[in-house]
Amino acid sequence: MTQLEVTGLHKAFGEHPVLTGVDLEVPAGSLTAILGPSGSGKTTLLRVLAGFDRADAGTVSIGGSVVDGPGGHVAPERRRIGYVPQEGSLFPHLTVAANVGFGLPSRQRRGPAIDELLEAVGLAGLGLRYPHQLSGGQQQRVALARALAIRPRIVLLDEPFASLDAHLRASVRADVQNVLAETGTTGVLVTHDQDEALSTADRVAVLRHGRIAQCAAPQDLYDRPADADIARFIGDANLIEGVLDAGMVDTVLGRLRIEPSCLASFGPGRGSLADGPAALAGNQAGPATVLVRPEQVELLAEPAPGRPAGRNRDAAPAQLAGRVVAYGYHGHDAVIHVRPEPGGDAPTIIVRTLGGPQLPAGSPVTLRARGPVLAWPRS
Amino acid sequence: MTRPQTLSRPGPAPAAGPAARPAVPARKARRPAVLVAVSAAVAAALALPLVFLLIEAHGAGTAAVTQLTFRRLTADLLWNTVRLTVVVTIGCAVIGTAAAWCVERTDLPGRRVWAVLAVVPLAIPDFVVSFGWASLWTWVHGFRGAVVVMTLAVYPLVYLPVAASLRAADPGQEEVARSLGVGRVRTFVRVTLGQARGAILGGCLLVALVLLAEYGAFEILGYQTFTTEIFTEFSVSFSVPAACALSLVLVALSLLVLAGEGMLRGRGRVARSGPLAQRRMPPQRLGRATLPVLACFGALAALALGVPVGSSVWWMFEGGAHAIAGVSLVSAALDTAGYGVCAGALATLAALPVALLAVRYPGRVRHLLERSTYLVLAMPGVVAAFALSYFTERYGSGLLYQSAPLLIFCYSIMFFPLALVGVKASLARAPASLDEVARSLGQRRLAVLWRVTLRLAGPGLAAAFCLVFLSVVTELTATLLLIPTGVQTLATQFWAYETNLSYGQAAPFALVMIAVAAVPSYVLGRFFDRSAPAHR
Repeated sequence: MTQLEVTGLHKAFGEHPVLTGVDLEVPAGSLTAILGPSGSGKTTLLRVLAGFDRADAGTVSIGGSVVDGPGGHVAPERRRIGYVPQEGSLFPHLTVAANVGFGLPSRQRRGPAIDELLEAVGLAGLGLRYPHQLSGGQQQRVALARALAIRPRIVLLDEPFASLDAHLRASVRADVQNVLAETGTTGVLVTHDQDEALSTADRVAVLRHGRIAQCAAPQDLYDRPADADIARFIGDANLIEGVLDAGMVDTVLGRLRIEPSCLASFGPGRGSLADGPAALAGNQAGPATVLVRPEQVELLAEPAPGRPAGRNRDAAPAQLAGRVVAYGYHGHDAVIHVRPEPGGDAPTIIVRTLGGPQLPAGSPVTLRARGPVLAWPRS
Repeated sequence: MTRPQTLSRPGPAPAAGPAARPAVPARKARRPAVLVAVSAAVAAALALPLVFLLIEAHGAGTAAVTQLTFRRLTADLLWNTVRLTVVVTIGCAVIGTAAAWCVERTDLPGRRVWAVLAVVPLAIPDFVVSFGWASLWTWVHGFRGAVVVMTLAVYPLVYLPVAASLRAADPGQEEVARSLGVGRVRTFVRVTLGQARGAILGGCLLVALVLLAEYGAFEILGYQTFTTEIFTEFSVSFSVPAACALSLVLVALSLLVLAGEGMLRGRGRVARSGPLAQRRMPPQRLGRATLPVLACFGALAALALGVPVGSSVWWMFEGGAHAIAGVSLVSAALDTAGYGVCAGALATLAALPVALLAVRYPGRVRHLLERSTYLVLAMPGVVAAFALSYFTERYGSGLLYQSAPLLIFCYSIMFFPLALVGVKASLARAPASLDEVARSLGQRRLAVLWRVTLRLAGPGLAAAFCLVFLSVVTELTATLLLIPTGVQTLATQFWAYETNLSYGQAAPFALVMIAVAAVPSYVLGRFFDRSAPAHR
């Protein structure tokens, strides 16, 4: 069931267009992240959903009823949307309990319901404090409880973790996830942090140039980004040049197997789909941009005996010699930038390794890539 | 806010996107119509006196007005008014800024006490200060006397905003300047004064406008300015065209001051990055300068507070027991307070929709409304009162002439800018994001206004009310012109005795006036004290 449906949403501020045709569906009970770089229109989209801004064109419907469209505009107070703004925006003149009960009819503003909500967000017993007596993480939890109190049809979260410290962020994030899941509330989370989007949400919608470029489950998004831009935006990526040929692609990292699903983007070959992917693959060729994730590249301590990288007809993994340019240590893993040698102006390759010895810049290394890889036609 | 009728899209549309839409007319965002209508009505009321003035000038004929404007008297008045304004404004800027810096940024002993003593002169009407000095020493007269008296009476108008801005300023900027190798003095000039620049200019603007509008103090000191001359022309010689011509010059002069301040202020804005600073600057050490600075503060307090208060007390006892007319004192105090409360409430109420519109819905309408308050700022009380009284007489067949509602209306117009400043500042403490959250929680606009906005803005609204109340209590010029027959306020009764040279009988009224005005001054001080630090 779709809880939120957005179609063809346009919004401009003066001459400056911000949203240029957003289409989005959010399934009931899911947590969907809207991921985009700053200035991509995330917050504008959220404000249109909440009803603070009106769309110039397009429709928004919640739970099957249109709240913004050619027919009219439902005021924010009649939408039953829980809104958790970036900085919490707690009412400074009210206690925590009064903040949480703010949206309830006056008879229900005190009582067990408020305590239950506070307990659900891990703030039992803090009801009589004032917002300035709380830490940033606690304020965000109150803001969430306040939004949930009205039993909203959707909760909108506007970068709610951005102002928190790294260690606090993870715990608040997990708690928010749990509370939403337990109450079965549909959530829309806006963020510019791809890590946060991938780890928190059930579905991630990438907002780019005012429209949704791709919407998929986190793993699908990472494994099968729709284009090179999204690949670069979601996680680290080596985007290298290659030449497609018979279902394989020749690159500086050798001849790699290609994911069959992405062959369609190279246009119809001489065969047809009816002949099966092999026929298609066999017939398509041309220059390509190839995505090799850093974890698909292996670092070999010793150059194994064998062929150097290059155009070889056989599918055996090729090797590439290079020198370390930079070594970034992250504890759980290490990210190494390697310049192919003799490379001239060849781009550096990013490699992610688990452990292993620290390699000073200039160390000679040997790389080996594993397929299958994704590729898109290069223009 | 302008919206294009068609939507444009940036860059080439991705091929995978939905089919291109036809251009769709933009839906209009609603600006609350009621708010706009009420604000427009307020703006129209503010413009009334000036409109009347222009109509009257037109009626008198261009030739007559020109002849009345370009004569020897005008030139003399211009010279008197301008030289006094320049000298006193500079004096107030220096004293006010220096005092504010010492109190806010140094280890001066007793800073809390000095902070209060520096503001209290606001509660003493200028004509009482002038009376205090002139009744004791005959040399306090003319230009010299006016400079001394007015500087001591109005320097708090610079002190208050500068102190608030120094307190709220980002201490990091000064530290960065020092770390970049800029010395203490040059840091003060280049950074500290830069931070306080807007506040200093704002304070100077107020000082200049007060000087242009002052009547009572100059009358006592025998110093002739535009305002005293307009008063005489209108209420003594009954020469309406002459009063009208002089008023137009005075309004032009005030507009010039406003424009000058706007130009000096420029487009620069004080920006601060990061959250508001919670920590205080470590105070600058005065060291060997401590004693001289303390002596200066002591002298300032003695001259600005001690002389007028002491002189009033002395005259009261000198005048003998018969001087204290208990009944008239109480009734005058009650009448004064009544006018103050009514005008304070009316002005604050009128400022609320305008401030809401200005803070929440910026745009062309806001600019228009701000301009309309400028017109009021540029209109000294004598002009407003003269315009209102003359025109109720002429067009209202004298129905409201010298009636309480007209006087309250006149006060509300005169002090509307003060109320607006206070209300705007208080609404800034209730950010729009809180309103949005409240609405998303199912609250209607009016409920949000009541449950969130007004609760947060409450202290600021009280401050705005107090500011108007204080101004009404110490107002003399318009009151003299518009006071209902048979009624006396503290100011007019004081004035009546003072002009009779019955100093002993005048003094108690001065003291009660100071007492009544001191309460709102204290509340104001508390508000500015609290509004400076970060609100979290």
